[in-house]
Amino acid sequence: MQKQHHIQLLPGDVGETVFLPGDISRAKVIADHFDTAELVASSRQYNTYTGTYKGVKVSVTSTGIGGAAAAIAIEELAKIGAKNFIRIGTGGMFQTWLPIPGILVITGAVSGDGLTREYFPRGFPAVADLDTVEAMLASAKELGIEVHEGYEWSHDSFYAGSVFSNLDILEIEKPWIDAGVLIASQEASTVLTLATARKCRGGVILASAGCHQHPEISATPEQMVKAISDATRISLETALKLHKLDHGE
Amino acid sequence: MNQEAPHRQHHIDMLPGDIAPTVLVPGDPGRVALFAEQMDEAWQVAHKREYLTYTGKKDGVPISCTSCGLGPSPTAIGTEELIRIGAKNIIRMGTCGAIQPFMKAGDIIVVTSAVRGERATEEFISIDYPAIASHYIVRASIKACQRLGLPYHVGMVRTHDAFYLESPWAFGDYKTRLQPWVDLGVLAVENEAATMFVVASMQGVRAGAILLSSDPIFSEGEDDPKLEEHKRDLVRVSIETAKILHEKGLD
Repeated sequence: MQKQHHIQLLPGDVGETVFLPGDISRAKVIADHFDTAELVASSRQYNTYTGTYKGVKVSVTSTGIGGAAAAIAIEELAKIGAKNFIRIGTGGMFQTWLPIPGILVITGAVSGDGLTREYFPRGFPAVADLDTVEAMLASAKELGIEVHEGYEWSHDSFYAGSVFSNLDILEIEKPWIDAGVLIASQEASTVLTLATARKCRGGVILASAGCHQHPEISATPEQMVKAISDATRISLETALKLHKLDHGE
Repeated sequence: MNQEAPHRQHHIDMLPGDIAPTVLVPGDPGRVALFAEQMDEAWQVAHKREYLTYTGKKDGVPISCTSCGLGPSPTAIGTEELIRIGAKNIIRMGTCGAIQPFMKAGDIIVVTSAVRGERATEEFISIDYPAIASHYIVRASIKACQRLGLPYHVGMVRTHDAFYLESPWAFGDYKTRLQPWVDLGVLAVENEAATMFVVASMQGVRAGAILLSSDPIFSEGEDDPKLEEHKRDLVRVSIETAKILHEKGLD
């Protein structure tokens, strides 16, 4: 088999669980939480580190921003043997009752993105894998990290749905806020639908620095480093639990 | 009318206190009797139109059963009104047409999510919003199937409006019509799950669906000779699910 076109990887280059940050630099931050890690490929925005965590082979591949780029990574990673996709990302929260910073386990996504619409018929649900959601919640509890669970609004245009927008975002986001959706980000719908379609597991955990309804309040950079680290620790323990489900001890 | 004040709901004809926190929802009012006969005690609470409700106890756990009729429209009404009188777990307990070739008559389907092929929920919220079952109910339903030793599948279904376009008795070449859903891994087609999931999840209420594959569409089929037994199994596993939710403090 030739190397996959974008990610530049071959079968054997990644573990069954691959973490998917958007940010290229965050791939290194996540890999630093492994027991061992080495950079196995770097191409465009796709940087992949593979290593071990408590004896289990794990990988992280940065996808860049947005559903289009994330879908390419998932399609190519699935072809070389990845089974569990866990996005570790950031987003802007909707609900005022959530803590700042917040760590959110995503159970489903509103498919406001174009990728999902192009791949799947209208009304196709973006649902997180049951085992993965349960493993994330259990891992958070074991690690003593506060998490909240719920839906992400996945959308394509950052500057139409973030606190940096020139548009009236609370008007745009009102249907989702009213329906109890927790957070805006860009990739969950792609990750969850495509993982399901490729008969893989899909999960998403997000750290957030603030709420769209209170743009004046923001977590400090130090708090966000810790929140992303906590989300990574939860994800690593989740990878172990999924490994145990599939392969025993 | 003030929707906050307790008043008798327009269609289900009940008040807060009339139902248990967990409500099982068949389409068919006739199936409520199957629920009542398996409970330790059960009494009729209300009966109006297609909405028949029994509330009772099984092994000390309070459980209700409210039929909501066939199709998205009465299901949207029933789900809404059950929430307004305090339902915490709303679980569809119905039949469906399995479309995957590996599925047999009598198999149980634990539904994780549903394709929104119906229109009732689009009046509430954009089609982009997902129809997803509570993972707590999904896990409880799986455990219930395992406890009772019943064969089950876990996955996605397609909810739609027109029974006579996608069923073994449908007009024309229904198998070709269904093939795209088979290819997407959809397990079965039916008429209510997505509606219930969307109406409930928008209000932070847990919903789920446990379905009986009564009419596998791609098996050259005679009718299921054990259909009545399988319907009782469906009710049994649904009651067990309600008990597990109670054990976990989720009611």
